[in-house]
This record gives sequence, structure tokens and C-alpha cells, in this order.
Amino acid sequence: MSQTITAAHSAAIDALHTAYLAALDKGDMAAWASTFAADNARYFCISAENDHRGLPLALMYDDCRGRIDDRVSFVTKVWVGTYEPYRTRHFIQRLSCEAAGNNQYRLTSGFTIMMSAEGGTTAVLTSGEYRDLIEIQGDGDKFRAVFRERRAVYDADVLPRYIVFPF
Amino acid sequence: MNAPMTPFAKPWIANPDGYRVPYEVFTDQVYYDQEQEHIFRGETWSFVGLDAELPNNGDFKSTAIGDTPVIVTRDQNGQLHVFKNLCMHRGALLVRESRGNAKSFDCVYHQWSFDLTGVLRGVPMRRGVRGEGGMPPAFDMANFGLDALRVEVMNGLIFASFSKTVEPLADYLGEGIVANIQRIFNRPIRIMGDYRQYIHGNWKLYAENVRDPYHGSLLHLFHSTFGLYRATQKGFTYMDPSNRHSLLKATASAAPTSASEDQEVYKDVRSYNTEFHLKDASILVGRPEFDDRASLVINAIFPNLLIQQIANCLAVRQSVTHASNAFEIVWTLFGYADDDEEMQMIRMKQSNLVGPAGLISMEDGEAIEIVQDAVIRDGKKTSVLAMGGVHSGSVDHMITEGPIIGFWENYARYLNLGADLKK
Repeated sequence: MSQTITAAHSAAIDALHTAYLAALDKGDMAAWASTFAADNARYFCISAENDHRGLPLALMYDDCRGRIDDRVSFVTKVWVGTYEPYRTRHFIQRLSCEAAGNNQYRLTSGFTIMMSAEGGTTAVLTSGEYRDLIEIQGDGDKFRAVFRERRAVYDADVLPRYIVFPF
Repeated sequence: MNAPMTPFAKPWIANPDGYRVPYEVFTDQVYYDQEQEHIFRGETWSFVGLDAELPNNGDFKSTAIGDTPVIVTRDQNGQLHVFKNLCMHRGALLVRESRGNAKSFDCVYHQWSFDLTGVLRGVPMRRGVRGEGGMPPAFDMANFGLDALRVEVMNGLIFASFSKTVEPLADYLGEGIVANIQRIFNRPIRIMGDYRQYIHGNWKLYAENVRDPYHGSLLHLFHSTFGLYRATQKGFTYMDPSNRHSLLKATASAAPTSASEDQEVYKDVRSYNTEFHLKDASILVGRPEFDDRASLVINAIFPNLLIQQIANCLAVRQSVTHASNAFEIVWTLFGYADDDEEMQMIRMKQSNLVGPAGLISMEDGEAIEIVQDAVIRDGKKTSVLAMGGVHSGSVDHMITEGPIIGFWENYARYLNLGADLKK
């Protein structure tokens, strides 16, 4: 462990996590995208199986900010009407946090996603681990945390259904 | 005893206005059981993996043909084998891991041990304990080797068959399909990884889906919106002489010959939008890598394999059945061992197109499930396959359901559903 995190930075990171979960639980893709850094950010969703085998293939491979914005459009424009609506509830707990310099932190968190399909019961979609590079932006009293990179490594070897929303 | 079931009494009908398949084939357990015996464990070759997944001696993977669990392994001499994943003693799964490397397969139950060629090498307490117990003199370990399947490898694709009499793989596939395998698997590949997706529907709905070139630009709006594939594009639909396998190929570019033609073709499509632009269009920027410059090749191989080339996104998709209303797709994406860094990146970006969350494949999962949900109590009702004329066989366009008819003609033949099917 390098330097310890300040309470203010820790609170900003908690707020970022909350904003992320709240966006997805509301199905608000634009709010999801706004948790990422505006200039340069990456989102990857990858199976634990591929991760464990050292293979790069990802379920979602958004290697630049533009593609994160495009994913918003895919869900809200291109795919409209083609998928069965479903709602999610995300739960996380922080597992580790390490300062990475330059106002950045590397975090890991466990996550669980519950899924409720329209007209159906609630089931576990998958669990997994977020591996994040988070940056504190701004200074003085006005700062916020954003994702430079979020890597969602999901546990399910076989996904229980097709996937529309990011994890 | 119950009265014998007569599930196949209703003849299927091929009329001038359409080929009709009763929905009970997707819901009735009798069909499911017959398929396992006569298709997956019958006179067919099933795909079980890529030899690049098992690069080292001792490597193994577990998978399934239909719903029969099998082990694929490379023995200490480099030879590939496929066995039923079933201990010859009391029937336990021998291998429980998805993949690994082993010197032998040891059953956890009573520790019977088989070598990688399937020969039984060890039976603990065979001679008893302190003179008591032990196997009888008539017990001969040579009689208890693993159930081995026939194996053939073509350009790195591993196929297996339960049948002792099925024709050799190359004959089973036919020249045109072999040519596509040689085209795509033309040099060593590099595996990028797997996707695994459960679909709450019958596996044959997916067999239909991948033999249906005409849904592509209608269900998958990403295709038509971003010009990866349009119905106005030149292409062809090839079927092997047996009509079991199909090759859907879009040649040349997807650019419409004119904006007005494009608007005419898609005037009824729900949200087709030529004005929509990507913020990062690099996902669509590929590199031509095949002499024929085909942008889309969907090659369905009966009964459980699909080979795809969508731009530079290369994959095999294996269907594994679980029940009449459940199956799994295992996607393995790959590039070539000699891909430069830029090409690896192109393939990674384009991998967003396919898989359980794929931009042009997510909707297939939904399409299958909404059919399965709807037909549940309407087994005697039928679908109608009529697009492109009511016939299987090769045509020089892609606005057809012919390959689906070819699938059902063969399905009926394998299950011996009767001569009524012949037109």
C-alpha cells in the first residue's frame, strides 16, 4: 500500500460508485457514460474464464471514450424494440484501494447484479469483480471522481441470457 | 402400459405457398430424444473444438455433443481423441474441469485411472485388501477402455462422430464447404477467447436463424444502419449437395447502388436510419484479408457448428443442447498467429459485433426466445417458409429461406419422419 486515501477522496469515489449503480439501475445509459472521464476513458466487460486464461476477448470492448458514447446510442437508438426490457439492481463492496499517483486510485470491488425481466421473477444475472482506475478531477472544494478505466470481470461461465446493458 | 406415442403422425407439408414445420418439433420431448439418438449420436459429424485450444500434449477440454458429455484430449504422442465423459466403472463424469492438462483421467469416485488414449490403467484394490475382496479373475481391464468416438481434424477444426458408418468428414461436408474451411483456416490461428450464452429456446431455432440470410438486415439494425450488410448487397446462398450445410456470402461492399433504392427496400423497416453516425467509426474500419473480398460469410454445418467471417471478425459457434427449450452457444473468436498488432486491435474492436451482447447478434437470442414462448401450446400449428420460393438448394441471392428448408428436409430424413415430406 502506498499513501492512504483522504476521507474526501474516499467519499468522492463512493459517490462515483453510487452514480454508476444508480445510472444502470435506472437504465439511464447517458448517466452511465457520464461516470467516465470526458477525454480519455475505457470500459471492458470480460468473463472470468477469458481473464483467467489470459485471453483478451471481452463481451464489451469500449477502448475509447467515443465507443462508450456509441454504446449509449446502440442501447437507446439502434437496439430499441429488439430486446425484452429488463431491470437490474447492482450491489458492490469495495475489496481494495491503492493510490496510483496523479490523483488516481486503483480499486477492486465485488459486484452482484440482480435481474428482473418484464413479467418474470428476479434472478441473479451474474456476480463479478470491478477493477477500476479512478481519477479525482478538480481541486479545492470542487472535485469529483471519474473512471479512467473500468474492467468488469464477470463470474458466470455461461451467461444466463443475452446482454443489453453494461455490467 | 401407456399407449405408444405417435408424435410424427402429422405429415409436414410443402405446398406451392410454403413449406410448413409443426411447432411441436421445438417443444416436444419425443423429438428431442430422437434427435439425440439419430442426429447427435447418429450419422453425423459434430464439431467439438479447435486444435489450437489443445496446443500441448496432455491438454484436454470437456464439452458435449448434443447433451452427451465428451472429453477432447491430446495424448502424449500428440494424437487427438474424443471420449464419452463417462467412467466405465459406475458411470461418473470422469472430467469435471472445462479444460486442463493431465497425464491420466482419474475418476474421483473409485479412482479408476485411464490414460490419454482411453485405456484403463489402474483399478485400486483390484487384487483386494489383505486377501479379501478384489475383482474376479474374469475381470479384464482391456475390456474397460473409454468409449471412443471417431475423430477427424480438418484445418484445425476437430470433429467427432458416434457413428462407425458415417461417411468420411470431407464427403460429409462436400467440396464447397471444405473450400470455405480451407479459406478461413488457411494458416495457424490465435484464439482470442470464448463467449458462452444460454438461450431459453430450442437449438433448432438457432439452426434456422443461421440458415436465414434474409433476417440479417431486418432484425439486426446495426447492419443496415452502418452498412455492414444490406439486402441490396450482392451475395449468394450456397448449399452442399445434401442440403445439410449452407454458406451465406455477401460479396463486394454493402453500399447501396442508390439512395432511392435503399429507401425503397427499407421503407417498411422500423427504425432504419441512414443519418446516424458513430462517434468512433474505427469499429467499422477493417482490412480486406480474403481474395474474394467477401464482407460476410455465415457457414452453417449440420448439426452443431457455425463458422463466421463478418468483416475481420472470425469465429466458430458451437451449439450444445440442454433440453427441448434450452441450449447454449459457445463462441470461440480467433485471429491468425501472424496478425500484426494493428490487426489484433481491429479484431478486438470488431468482437463487439458478436456474442451475447453483440451488436449484430444480441437480437438472435431474443428472436429465438419469443418463438419458443409463443408456440408452447400450439405444437400442431406450423411456421411457413416461403421466401425465395419453396425449395432448398443454391441460389445467387440472399433473400431466401431455402437453407432452412434444406435443414428440415435433412432433419426429417434423420428422424425418419416419412415420405410425406417429399414434394
